[in-house]
Amino acid sequence: MATILCATRGGEASIHTQEHAIRLAQTQDANLVFLYVADVQFLSQATAAIVVDVATEIEHMGEFLLLMAKERAEKAGVKSETLVKRGIFRHALVEAAQEVGATMIVLGSPQEDNPAMQSLLEEVAGVIKEQTGVDVVIVDRSDAV
Amino acid sequence: MIRRTLFSALLVGLALWMLRPDTPVTALQGGQSESRPELSGFLTDSRGQAISDAEVLVFLNDAAEPAVSTTSSEDGSWVVDLPGTVLESVHIEVERHHYESFSYRLAESEVERLRMDGSFAFNTIVLENQITLGFWVAAAAFVFTLLLIASERLQNALAALAGISIVFAATFILGAFNESFYVLNMERALAYINWEVIFLVMGMMIVVGILEGTGIFQWLAFQAYRVSRGRISLLIIVLIVITSVASALLDNVTTMLLMAPISLQIALALGIDPLALLIPEILASNISGISTLIGTPTNILIGAYAGIGFNDFLINQTLGVLGAMAVMIVVVLYFFRGELKKTSGGISEALYNKLKENARIKDARTLKWSGVVFGGMLFFFIVGESLHMVPSVTALLGATLLLLLVEPDIEKMLRVVDWTTLVFFMALFMLVGAVQEVGLLGVFAEIMGNLIGANLPLGIVVLVFGAGLLSFVIANIPLAAALLPVVRFVSAGIPGAAESQVLYYALSMGAAMGGNGFIISGETNLMTSGIAERAGYPISFARYLRIGVPVTLLTLAAGTGWLFLRFALTGG
Repeated sequence: MATILCATRGGEASIHTQEHAIRLAQTQDANLVFLYVADVQFLSQATAAIVVDVATEIEHMGEFLLLMAKERAEKAGVKSETLVKRGIFRHALVEAAQEVGATMIVLGSPQEDNPAMQSLLEEVAGVIKEQTGVDVVIVDRSDAV
Repeated sequence: MIRRTLFSALLVGLALWMLRPDTPVTALQGGQSESRPELSGFLTDSRGQAISDAEVLVFLNDAAEPAVSTTSSEDGSWVVDLPGTVLESVHIEVERHHYESFSYRLAESEVERLRMDGSFAFNTIVLENQITLGFWVAAAAFVFTLLLIASERLQNALAALAGISIVFAATFILGAFNESFYVLNMERALAYINWEVIFLVMGMMIVVGILEGTGIFQWLAFQAYRVSRGRISLLIIVLIVITSVASALLDNVTTMLLMAPISLQIALALGIDPLALLIPEILASNISGISTLIGTPTNILIGAYAGIGFNDFLINQTLGVLGAMAVMIVVVLYFFRGELKKTSGGISEALYNKLKENARIKDARTLKWSGVVFGGMLFFFIVGESLHMVPSVTALLGATLLLLLVEPDIEKMLRVVDWTTLVFFMALFMLVGAVQEVGLLGVFAEIMGNLIGANLPLGIVVLVFGAGLLSFVIANIPLAAALLPVVRFVSAGIPGAAESQVLYYALSMGAAMGGNGFIISGETNLMTSGIAERAGYPISFARYLRIGVPVTLLTLAAGTGWLFLRFALTGG
């Protein structure tokens, strides 16, 4: 059975991506797994003392966001699983794809009006496809659900 | 257990040694005797600031070599006992790097007075600054460091180390070929490090490191969600109050790293834009820390430099901070008025339970002890001044006691101490010392002094808004560190300002409130933005600007108004 891995966060763009993945799971009768990556690279910009376990707090936030995605899928009649991983997004995504045996990866396009960002995302998608052998779908905000 | 006890004992011992009373720096040479004649005087620069570490050489009876010598102390005073020989002529020379040498031969009548009275006090000797190559090296190193920090090309600690390394390279390598490159030696540089700041920051890091794991902030935020029962305006105000209290007692970045994830979840549970909770929290965090000595790193710097205690900040800043907070709340409620009207359809039981789970108290035993010790620390921060107990000792004693009570993994505790921040402070102190040593800060202070004159209201406005607007783009810690000697000089020229320390409070308000201007203006803002971005709600520069700039300008005005009321109109 096919497995769709949808990497997501929680913003408006992510909701569109989640709905697209739910629709794909419906039409392909596939398993759906929502992935959240607790990537704390932004902390490297910090110059102040970071004495708190930020990664764990962000993991908790990710679990909450994925639960919302799961409820969204359930409302559409699609059962789904959730997975939270810690680390750099690209590496965590490859690891998760191998772990769940993904046959398709769905990614959102966070800034569709930014060509540089879009091109970077396509490059990342290409690398991930090369590393996992799995098709990567980038969902644009203009894509119909 | 043994390792932890040894570590604790080491911490306390080290703190007590570092914070021991200063020993007099004046060292007399050539032997001393109560009956010997004595020469004394004061050294200042052209701005009336005391000059320490200047070498005073006394030549007797036209000898080629000095009979005695001494160095001036921190307050610029110097005193020497002369050897018990027949005095026919007395000639003194004063030398110090970065100043013109001074030479004076006592008149016959003055030598006679010295012989008759057994002592002679000089009028204050004024040394003129000398612009050397070292001046330009120190100035370039300081500007270079600020640019590295502002551009984020290097981590702060590394940038400050690079700056002070340039100074040392000029002093010791270039200075060996051309003395004009001399800036300051290691002994002088180390003397500029404020160990009270280092130990206060370190002690608080340990306390916060233990407290953060208990989950108290997340639990409080969840209680705010429950109590507000879907009333968004009430929720925003309660979260602002929680963030403010936490930021006043702990550091702002830590507070926001704990508050932001749970606030995001609460916002999503209510179906509102998470930025309606996060941005007010950022603003509150940056403002409220001003009211206590330990609330912001700049207050720690200011407190240690000017001897302003925990109670002084509370008494002189709290009402101003409350006024600024009230202004900020009105503005954010207006700015997010669209969100206030939204009504939540409620969340599923699963989501509610998840939120509750993420906000639970994780370690009740540690929380209990942390509460007891932190309460004790607050007590000693307040009464410590009457016991001559500096805040850094209170912080270290509290940290050590907490370590002993909660028995955490000592290796983990050593990891929560952010050594890079401590290195940053040390390197920064030395670098600011270097620019102070060569007279650069004196030049800037003179310009400021000429601008402000003896006008206290103008001084308050310049300091609050000047530091505030500069903090939009310059990291406020190096800014405050560099401005402290300037504030001291300007305060000396305004009647009553040195005693009331009002301009230090103005610097405190400006530097902290200015951090609210742009999303890039402060660490708190950037870290919160990072978390929001991880949830898919990036805080764009433009969106933040629309609320950050008006709130900053209005709160700076509120802070200025308070300082006027407290000091300029009522005389403090």
